[in-house]
Amino acid sequence: MPGLRAAFDRRYQQWLDRRLPSVPSCRLENRRLFIFPSGAGALYGALLVVLWLTATNFENNLVFGLTFLLAGLFVIAIFHTYGNLHGLEIVPLRAGNGFAGQDVDFVLELRNDGRRPRESIHLSYAGGETREIHLGAGERRRVRLSVPARHRGWIDPGRLTIASVYPLGLLRVWSHVRLETRALVYPRPGAAGPTQPARPATSEEGSASVPGREEFAALERYRPGEPKSRIAWKQHARGLGLHTKHFTDPVDQRRWLDWDDFPGLDTEARLSRLCGAALAADAGSGSYGLRLPGQIIPPGSGRPHRDQVLRALALFGLDGSG
Amino acid sequence: MEPVWQIPRPALFWLLFTVVALAGLHADHLTPWLLGAGALVLAWRVQIYRGVWRYPGRWAKAVLVLMCGGAILASYGRLYGLEPMVALLWSGFILKLLEMQRRRDALILVCLGYFVAVTQCLFSQTPGTALATLGGVLLVTVVLAALHRRAEAGYWRPMGTAALLLAEAVPLMLILFLVMPRLGSLWTVPQPRQGAIGVSDVLAPGDLSRLGASGEVAFRVKFDGAPPPHNQLYWRGLVLSRFDGRNWSRIEPARHPGTAPQSPDLSVERRGAPVHYQMILEPSGENWLFALETPVPESPEVTLNDDLTLTRATPVASRWSHSLTSWMDYRAAAGGLGDGRRALETALPGAANPRTRELAARWRGEVDSDAALVERVLALYNSDYVYSLEAPLLGRDSVDEFLWRTKRGFCEHFASSFVFILRAAGVPARVVVGYQGGEYHPDAGYLTVHQYDAHAWAEVWLAGRGWVRVDPTAAVAPERIETSVADLLGGEQAFLADSPLSLVRFRGIRWLDRLRLQLDYYDYLWAQWVLGYEYRQERLLTGWLGAWDPWRLGFFILGAGALALLPVLLGQLRLARRRPRPALERLFERYCQQLARRGITRAQGEAPRALAERVARERPALGADATVISALLEEGMYGGGKPDLADLRRRIRRLG
Repeated sequence: MPGLRAAFDRRYQQWLDRRLPSVPSCRLENRRLFIFPSGAGALYGALLVVLWLTATNFENNLVFGLTFLLAGLFVIAIFHTYGNLHGLEIVPLRAGNGFAGQDVDFVLELRNDGRRPRESIHLSYAGGETREIHLGAGERRRVRLSVPARHRGWIDPGRLTIASVYPLGLLRVWSHVRLETRALVYPRPGAAGPTQPARPATSEEGSASVPGREEFAALERYRPGEPKSRIAWKQHARGLGLHTKHFTDPVDQRRWLDWDDFPGLDTEARLSRLCGAALAADAGSGSYGLRLPGQIIPPGSGRPHRDQVLRALALFGLDGSG
Repeated sequence: MEPVWQIPRPALFWLLFTVVALAGLHADHLTPWLLGAGALVLAWRVQIYRGVWRYPGRWAKAVLVLMCGGAILASYGRLYGLEPMVALLWSGFILKLLEMQRRRDALILVCLGYFVAVTQCLFSQTPGTALATLGGVLLVTVVLAALHRRAEAGYWRPMGTAALLLAEAVPLMLILFLVMPRLGSLWTVPQPRQGAIGVSDVLAPGDLSRLGASGEVAFRVKFDGAPPPHNQLYWRGLVLSRFDGRNWSRIEPARHPGTAPQSPDLSVERRGAPVHYQMILEPSGENWLFALETPVPESPEVTLNDDLTLTRATPVASRWSHSLTSWMDYRAAAGGLGDGRRALETALPGAANPRTRELAARWRGEVDSDAALVERVLALYNSDYVYSLEAPLLGRDSVDEFLWRTKRGFCEHFASSFVFILRAAGVPARVVVGYQGGEYHPDAGYLTVHQYDAHAWAEVWLAGRGWVRVDPTAAVAPERIETSVADLLGGEQAFLADSPLSLVRFRGIRWLDRLRLQLDYYDYLWAQWVLGYEYRQERLLTGWLGAWDPWRLGFFILGAGALALLPVLLGQLRLARRRPRPALERLFERYCQQLARRGITRAQGEAPRALAERVARERPALGADATVISALLEEGMYGGGKPDLADLRRRIRRLG
């Protein structure tokens, strides 16, 4: 039976993929929306049957009338439930980064360009939390949905389930939307072992000083992300704009995070250790570089550098480059 | 462990309000115990919500269930029957309130609530009840809407949603009501016990005078063709042949499936022109029916008895209508009475009323025929008797007291004493109860018979003529028979004493009388078109569709349904239309398109000023224009200014 179930799920997913392929953003149109009575709707249906039997047996036209009114209410609810999602636009804005084993966030924007307020819309990714949101007429609202990240590399959150039972709960309208968005997941940070000091320079470039914090080297235009402590406030006060002081370190201050430092471990374990080491190095002082088979990131520091290192670790050996 | 579900505050508010409203709706047939249990549960539920009390444990629940069950058994004495069933439903409804820990429970509660509300219509079917029940259904729908809405939306929005949805559902209801076939009872169901008043099968002195205090409608009649004159409108209900010295009661008649009684002494010969009519009966809770003389019923539910009265298979529990034919000119049992029958119709057990017996024996000797005896007795009534609703109470020898002491009575006193005298003289006679007359609606042409039209008269068997109707009241007060009891006795205190607000009381005031007749007409239409719709459905739909077949009905439902849903659909489309965007936003978009044509694409999130700076760098020729446009846009969109839109539009067009 589980095999059958799995096979059915697979077929359903294939059918969904054909019917609702991946899109950069989407507006919920007729083709994408499904509607069916909910559990409450089934209960309500049973109520209608009981009422009809009552009316028939008592030959009571008032009970007939009220039964038909409630049946009509169900039909009207179809339109209102459907309308609550119809025409809603979903745009993926960005995805956060995270480490394997933690959650990563996806930020979506829901755009309600219509004149109707939309109530109680439930959003969720498979395995992630469910968010309920409400949109006023013409309102746009951002939603952050977190999804558990199991492996390093690019993760695709899968299909977004967007559903609503508003206004009466008798029917559920839903869509499974596949949006083109993905998040980069870094390896799970492992216990940071000792990192090797950079080996004595053997080449010319090795003797050059690397960006560091010991010796003042130059003033450069401020770039976003640089630590505030390096801003040259004096120059700023003189109206020369924002500059940062750049220093260099002696070579032996550099650290190398090296693939070969963890002999005997498998790829994932090594990456995990390297990731932990990179985070430790980033938190500490000094610059650090990364040596992976076939890839070398020269020592550096700062947020962009850190991201570059982590990205290399996340994607090591994986196909996805972009 | 599931997260604890807390009912949204507005939903709880509306739910509690609904419980109170439904209790009010059913107050008539729920015992005070169950209403009290409702109040207790309400308080408990509020305390649970406030976090003061806890949900009842298993034992507390068991005790509550036993208490409700005990209250039902103690008050109704049975579990089968409509009232105990509704009481059970009500108990389940209120007890579920204490078990409402998940949304699912709340949904079950809502369904129970709908059912509780609708069962009200099984007890009463007046337009007022229908409206009240509709209110109950609306409230339950509000609860359902509030359950699926966030609490912050407030108390009134769910009400708006529910009202809108129900209003949109009304056309669908009408279509279904018109078209859906009525199958008729699938199995026997308990009928409500009616506290309804009406003519009963035991007649004691004073019984009918009590009906004179009620202005309620007994039934309505629509004649095909001209109605018979008022003094011929004797609505026979029950034939009372057994006398126990004080009360007249009925000998259970034999029923005949056919139209003519089989036994030879009860043969009936119908003559002259028949009268066709339709009767719409108010619920009486009894299974005897009223009809003009020698009726032939059309409905298979109705059988004709050997005393020419009608019996329905089940009591009339709700408004019900059927069609009949009567022959006002007839001979019944003209061929002679069997000995057994004669003995029954002349029996006078006991020795009460000695004076009357003596008088009867004396007169018997003085007249030469039964008919002459009848004339003699009627002449007696005509001498110095008073017809009145306010008759003095009578003791053991009721006929003697009435004839010689009080000399004041209502129709039952006259009918009873008349039959007594004839029987004492050996003439077969019996009391008939029912209604006499009725009120014509001047415009709509139907007859309304009220409870105060209740009447008792006599039937005497005369050789060669059979059973002959004799109304002693006509001898005392001919106006009663010619016009109406309301005209005759309207001034008496006892008339309509139970219906102080009845508009019949104000028949003298012209506009109030018009209003009363108008209201009565609406009630009549309600009975004809709503409560008795199944009798008209086929003819009506055949008239509309040309024929009555499933295909035509199907197409009618589809067509009319589409028509009914069209406004809903249009409303939805109107809501789904995009809101017109502000003019500046559209101009900004146009501006970006123009720049894109010149090779400068706006980056995501790039502000107008930054865009202009970039234009100045990359396309210096456009720089000046772009700077102005960007400044104007920025001023309009963020700075609170109101730039000249036409000018702005022109500048943007020039860019291209």
